[in-house]
Amino acid sequence: MTTRPVPHGLRSLATAGALAAVFVATAAAQDHPQDPRLGRLDAGARSLVAVVIDSARAAGLPTEPLVQRALEGATKGAPGSLIVSAVQRLAADLGRARAALGAGATPPELEAGAAALRAGAGTPVLAQLRRSRRQTITVPLAVLTDLVASGVPVDSAAAAVLALAAGTRDADLIDFRRAVERDIALGAAPTAATAAAAAGLQSTDATHVNAGARDARPGRP
Amino acid sequence: MFEDRQDPVERIVSHVRHPVRIDPALDGRVMQEIARGESVRAPGAAVAGWRWLIRPRQFAVSPLGALALAAGLAALMLALPRRGPRSGLPAEAARREFQFVVVAPRAARVALVGDFNDWDATRTPMRPAQRGGSVWTAVLPLSPGRYRYAFLVDGSRWLADPAAPHVHDDEFGAPSSVVTVGGS
Repeated sequence: MTTRPVPHGLRSLATAGALAAVFVATAAAQDHPQDPRLGRLDAGARSLVAVVIDSARAAGLPTEPLVQRALEGATKGAPGSLIVSAVQRLAADLGRARAALGAGATPPELEAGAAALRAGAGTPVLAQLRRSRRQTITVPLAVLTDLVASGVPVDSAAAAVLALAAGTRDADLIDFRRAVERDIALGAAPTAATAAAAAGLQSTDATHVNAGARDARPGRP
Repeated sequence: MFEDRQDPVERIVSHVRHPVRIDPALDGRVMQEIARGESVRAPGAAVAGWRWLIRPRQFAVSPLGALALAAGLAALMLALPRRGPRSGLPAEAARREFQFVVVAPRAARVALVGDFNDWDATRTPMRPAQRGGSVWTAVLPLSPGRYRYAFLVDGSRWLADPAAPHVHDDEFGAPSSVVTVGGS
């Protein structure tokens, strides 16, 4: 029996392959270690939150909002059980938002969609918003949520946002929300304030030629 | 059988040795025909390229080579930049500065905490607008998205931003506000 010497190129290839395989295996093992930021949670809550986050990751949902919600609870000194239930609820809402918005929805859209669902908007509203606007719908969803938080009935808020979303820029939608909140603070009925601000925005769409100048100063929430 | 007595073999050899007269233009005509046939049948470069592309081929790869190739592809995927938590957003250029303001009389320190700083009270301390004043401010660049936040006064008292929408569901018993950053 005779043995043939292994060519040098093949040996190099084998070495490179073995090294790459080791690298890949190591990277895979470390791919999703527990987020060190979760160390701020107590041990019981940490493990349960980690399970929720792993499940969300496996389902293709964004995990950063879940981490942030857990951190918010930890910083505010909430009990572990409250933190876990809040994270679980948010994960479920993110899943519903994705079902309504489609697999192509971005993480900010899903986060805003989850908040809109929590505010009472139905999944058909989210799906309709998705169809009506070519750009990202993060801001329309956020405005819808904020209007509901300001006391506008969810149906009125949804109708106004759907009417404006297709042809209105993000900045103008945020101005619209501010106008509604201001009018409500001044005593207007929420539904009337919403309708008036929407009508005003639709009638002045052509006046925003130089609206980019607003970026020169820091914005306000 | 033969009229003369010449050997048949010699007769054949003699016949073959007799030179044959060929038309001098024959070579030219033959070459013209060949050239014309090639010009008719030769495919264009695009057709030839397409045929080259779709022609099936067989590759022989050793198991070790296949492993190396797969590992290399996997390493490349790991090396590519990942989609971060807010990576569906426009790039850094889309970040905008936001000014946060809160009135907190008699406060010794105020911190801005929220989704943008991992709810870490040490990362974004606010500054008084005037020395000893009650108006505290902080300016923060934010990418498009929606962020929950609150003000933490003297490390113990939570305040929502009176100038911003409050969160709809206050799950932790302390108020929070939201800021939405648009991209258009």
